[in-house]
Amino acid sequence: MAANDRGATDIAIVGFAQSQSVRDAAPSEVQLLVPVVADAITAAGIERSDIGFTCAGSCDYLTGGPFAFVSNLEAAGAWPPISESHVEADGAWAMYEAWMRLQEGDIDVALAFGSGKSSPSNPAEVWAQQLDPYYLAPLGVDPVSLAGIQAQALIDAGKATERDFATVVADSRRNAKSNPNAQLSGDYDVDALLAEPYYRRPLRKHDVPPISDAAVAVIMARGDKARELCERPAWIRGMDHRIEAHQPGLRDITSSASTTLAARKAGYDGGPLDVVELSSTFSPQEIILKNAIGLGAGVNVNPSGGPLAANPIMAVGLIRIVEAASRIIDGTANRALAHATSGPLLQQNLVCLLEGE
Amino acid sequence: MNERCAIVGVGQTHFKKRRDDVSIAGLLREAIDRALADAELTLRDIDAVVIGKAPDAFEGIVMPEIFLADAVGATNKPLLRVHTAGSVGGSTLVVGAHHVITGIHGTVLTVAWEKQSEGNAQWGLAGGRSGGIGAGGAFAPWMRAYIQQSGAPDYIGWMVAVKDRRNAAKNPYAHLKMPDITLEKVKESPMLWDPIRFHESCPSSDGACAAIVTNEEGAKRAPRPPAWIHGLSVRSELGQFPGRNPVRPQAGVECAHDVYRQAGITDPRSQIDMAELYVPFSWYEPMWLEGHDIAGPGEGWKMVDTGETDLGGAFPVNPSGGVLSTNAIGASGMVRFAEAAQQVRGLAGEHQVDGVRTALAQAYGGAAQYFAMGVLRNTPPE
Amino acid sequence: MRTSHERGIAEVTITVESTIKFPYKRSLGPVIGPFMTALAEQRFIAIRSGSRVICPPLEWDPETAAELPRDFVDVGPAGTVCTWSWVSRPTEQHPLDRPFAFALIKLDGADTALTHVVDVESIDQMSTGMRVAPRWRAERLGHITDVEAFVPGEEAITVNGGVPGEPVTMMSYDASITYKIPVSDNTIKAHEATAQGRLVGLKCPVCERIYARDRGFCPIDTVELTDDHEVELPQRGVVTSYTIITPVQYPGQTETEPFSRVMVLIDEIDVVMMYQPLVDVPVEDVRIGMRVAVVWASEAEKADAGRPGNLVGWMPTGEPDNTDPSLANRIM
Repeated sequence: MAANDRGATDIAIVGFAQSQSVRDAAPSEVQLLVPVVADAITAAGIERSDIGFTCAGSCDYLTGGPFAFVSNLEAAGAWPPISESHVEADGAWAMYEAWMRLQEGDIDVALAFGSGKSSPSNPAEVWAQQLDPYYLAPLGVDPVSLAGIQAQALIDAGKATERDFATVVADSRRNAKSNPNAQLSGDYDVDALLAEPYYRRPLRKHDVPPISDAAVAVIMARGDKARELCERPAWIRGMDHRIEAHQPGLRDITSSASTTLAARKAGYDGGPLDVVELSSTFSPQEIILKNAIGLGAGVNVNPSGGPLAANPIMAVGLIRIVEAASRIIDGTANRALAHATSGPLLQQNLVCLLEGE
Repeated sequence: MNERCAIVGVGQTHFKKRRDDVSIAGLLREAIDRALADAELTLRDIDAVVIGKAPDAFEGIVMPEIFLADAVGATNKPLLRVHTAGSVGGSTLVVGAHHVITGIHGTVLTVAWEKQSEGNAQWGLAGGRSGGIGAGGAFAPWMRAYIQQSGAPDYIGWMVAVKDRRNAAKNPYAHLKMPDITLEKVKESPMLWDPIRFHESCPSSDGACAAIVTNEEGAKRAPRPPAWIHGLSVRSELGQFPGRNPVRPQAGVECAHDVYRQAGITDPRSQIDMAELYVPFSWYEPMWLEGHDIAGPGEGWKMVDTGETDLGGAFPVNPSGGVLSTNAIGASGMVRFAEAAQQVRGLAGEHQVDGVRTALAQAYGGAAQYFAMGVLRNTPPE
Repeated sequence: MRTSHERGIAEVTITVESTIKFPYKRSLGPVIGPFMTALAEQRFIAIRSGSRVICPPLEWDPETAAELPRDFVDVGPAGTVCTWSWVSRPTEQHPLDRPFAFALIKLDGADTALTHVVDVESIDQMSTGMRVAPRWRAERLGHITDVEAFVPGEEAITVNGGVPGEPVTMMSYDASITYKIPVSDNTIKAHEATAQGRLVGLKCPVCERIYARDRGFCPIDTVELTDDHEVELPQRGVVTSYTIITPVQYPGQTETEPFSRVMVLIDEIDVVMMYQPLVDVPVEDVRIGMRVAVVWASEAEKADAGRPGNLVGWMPTGEPDNTDPSLANRIM
């Protein structure tokens, strides 16, 4: 890559760390973050003082304190003071802001992290309160019911079957066997999965992600600094995110127009990908996202197991990017695409395109 | 190459205790539509939207920008939500500007808001539990420490309150307008969080503020004078550790020095023509004058005492009436930037300071640990 | 280069449960308000956006964000189920207490679907494309739940009476989320120490700053703090700053009388305890430099389960005030 390329193509992931995802972590959110941030810094071979900008992603409502995110500053090492910001969003959007900030060219290294503990509360209660406060939240609509609505629409449109959903789950659990940070893994037979009872018809319990606690951190560096820090940096070729109208009744929930747009804007041209990590929170969403991005049948999707194997909300999207980057850095992949999502039924989507040299 | 960047449209709602006449989206659109009208743009011209607000518990909606996305014109666009406590309005503008400075997007809508009447901010600040000491209770011992250290007389706090409330009377968007307020009335108002009296405290408001940030090309097309961004900075520090000095937080010192350096300012008191500082309690005016090295140690209160920070003074602070007169928490930081922009654009109306070429905007949040600052001018950076 | 954080994460053993509740009041504005008013009148209205009819109505077009003229049209009451999902085990947050379906329902005359519930006896009665009509609630408030549920068929089930006479402009929303927050080992140790009448802290082995006993780590050096770092603190100190708080009333607030909170610099070591209560000190007597000592709960007080902790507060020692002017610099 030419040194005079525009800044956007000149930034790479050079180090990262994530915690295990567990159902019910004893450490607080910041206590999960502290070792993860420290490990990412070690992995990148930098000192804290090398970091020119930090961005954090989290959600106050997960732990219930109106300023819960402030504690996470303790993991960022905010003394002496640091240049720092916070998004009320998954760590993937924190990374987007830090990636953007790096492009100004006055700093060389940035840290982004995401953290969340879903275990202290009931996600059905919390996420009902993310919906339209007049028309939806008072109905107590929970994310799993919404996902069921989406799954049924997909079946009705002839785009997928319950067997397809079960196949996604079996693949996820099998892939997760090699992921030490995953919660759910193992060998499952599709027919056996289909014999399980419905949870929110047409979804079964295994079509729904586990409740997870985890944290993830990533270090990015610019140009020569990236090459100096990492033998094989994961270059960020493009990153973009797009949102759609909120109400499920206003959009085609069997597709994801904003994912298609974000992938195009991130520079994905339909070419071959060695690895794809998707925030397919519910099994039908993997089918929707593959179609939206235009992935063929043979693509290696969610080798980590994806969100069905571990779903630490507010970290899960950035974990997708880290899982994709890790395979570039270790040389097993050369071109990767990672995806994060926010809002009900894939309302908002982020795509990050990564490449080796 | 970094792009030059300017604010070309500013819009505020009328701030009130309750804005029961609008939905939440309606509140945001009131500010957004005014900003678009100011810039003579439509939402089609906007490439990305950045939204800021303080804790979601204030309105009881988790990540409310998700349900607001289509109403604020973000459909098929990037939408980013910033949350840095009370400084968030300032941080939101800074993040919006980064989209433009890097050339990722040409024109970005930033909007910050709070509709505190949907819930109860005191409840929110107390984490929904009894015995909350509130922001006033948390900051009061620090203000007392400032008073002790600086030897400032009691009436300095009252003077700030009188000045800001009278300034607000000239600002059509301000919440509290008290043209007839006197030192006596402030002094006799109930003590809420000793040493802070009722009239020395900010109200709880509903409102929103929007600002349109664009590149040089956009600024050239703008129908009204742009406010050029000459410096932007954010700093954060730990809120609590033994030996921390929250009266003069180091993050505030460094944030100020960073924007001064970017803007080529070596003597802020003489080179800056006016400032909009985040002053939710009267004593924070002298505290920030010193905390950002505009005044020397123990000198900030003297700038108040001599009338230097008055609308007609040598260094006017908060001609808009400030946070003391209007506080929709999430919006307040952006209002500082918006008001500073209007001053350099010469569009501040009745509270315009004569001949402003360089303005300072500042927002802070948390335990005086988050800072977002900017320097705006009426001419582009060289 | 690649690291995966492989330290095991301990699972939770002890938690404290708290339910955060709040009665939010929402103003509806010029479009949602009329829709809710129509619900109270057992009608559905939609709004036109060009050739499209949007229900529930929005103030702005969802694609272009253009403001929509207030051109309302009546739609429904019957409609068609576009898609659905079966809730076999409803919870308290759901509008029905028996198995039901959430569904997207396109009301007759509308081009977009409303999200609501369908009440049928069994899942066998549910199908995409089925026709449904509203069963209205007898007591209607102008709220989305004024439709108790949709039921199979073409005919709305209407009820007389119970209608607010005025246009609906506000709605209430009672939020409630229950949290189970883990209690850390350090928190338990902190409680144990106060139960024994000991004031203890944790000293960072790197910077030697002393933190509260329940802190998990030194945030400056990011060193984990454990039992090994416990230090005994003197139980006397001096007030360095204070405030007198007049309680603001809000839901859940039980304080009514003015109360003081003081910063106490502990004797001999460099620790400030922030926002501490004083015991039996009239608020007008609170001052910087006042010498104070810890007050522990009596046995009777300890037995009172409703009490927050064993450290009740601080009481004057009667010693002469500390007049060092630099005290005011020590508030943390």
